[in-house]
Amino acid sequence: MEDKLNEAVVDARSFIGKHSFLIFITSSILISAVVIYVSMQMYNSSGAAQLDLSRPGYVSVRSKVDTSDSDFQNYPANGPMNKGVIDDFKALLNKQAQKIVGVDAFGGSPLDPAALGISDTSN
Amino acid sequence: MKITKKVVLTGFITAVLICGVAFMKIASAQSDQPTDTQIQLVKNNCVQLKGTLNQLHASDALLRVNMGQLYESISIKLMNGFNGRVENNNLNNNSLLSATKNYNALLDNFRNDYQSYEQQLSASINIDCQNHPTSFYNAISSARTYRDRVHIDIQSLNQSITHYQSTLDQFESDYLLSLEGTTR
Repeated sequence: MEDKLNEAVVDARSFIGKHSFLIFITSSILISAVVIYVSMQMYNSSGAAQLDLSRPGYVSVRSKVDTSDSDFQNYPANGPMNKGVIDDFKALLNKQAQKIVGVDAFGGSPLDPAALGISDTSN
Repeated sequence: MKITKKVVLTGFITAVLICGVAFMKIASAQSDQPTDTQIQLVKNNCVQLKGTLNQLHASDALLRVNMGQLYESISIKLMNGFNGRVENNNLNNNSLLSATKNYNALLDNFRNDYQSYEQQLSASINIDCQNHPTSFYNAISSARTYRDRVHIDIQSLNQSITHYQSTLDQFESDYLLSLEGTTR
């Protein structure tokens, strides 16, 4: 029994020794496939896929991303506190809020059967 | 004998009620199913429908990115900074922190609901509407529900910003009152 086991180990070592390059390539491909699979799962589940406008299908809107706020500075956490500081912050917050509140984002009903032309009454 | 009649009557009424509720549920479920006319319309307008959904998919993605940036900047760049400044000046910022926490929770809801909506819309687009018009119609109905949720999230976020602003007004008036108290 032990002899058979030893024989099998020797055979396996011999096989690895003869085909080491092939085993190296195959295992590299398998590890890459696993890593790609895991990263794709993370990409889809994290919400990154929804923000990635480099995906095919988003070509028409890619250039329309608003980058005007990219230089918008963090409000400094260090500094004095007085009425002027509060009023300045309120103005800053109000300016940002105005950009949002006026937009009825995801409103309307573009997926309604009537809007898509598939309601019972549409012809 | 009277008791038996009562039991039978009660059982009959219960059975009628259960059947009624079940029938209403089935009727309600059937009302969500497309009619033959709608199935035919889906088949006839399949290519056009896919085009419309693809356009909506792209325009909503752009809206998500642009609106998301604005909402994130309000939380990360403004609220957090100001809350920190209030704390660094040894003032009570509990109400502002609470308003920010509420805002961040709503922002998380928005992110998650948009993700569900986008995945559902993508799934709808990938359905073969020529051969599976009913599945396609139902997938669109589901995407519509998810989109409505995103719209509600947006409205809640806007209300939350207004809430933070009113909390800030209250903080300012409390702060000014405390200053008056110390100068007297």
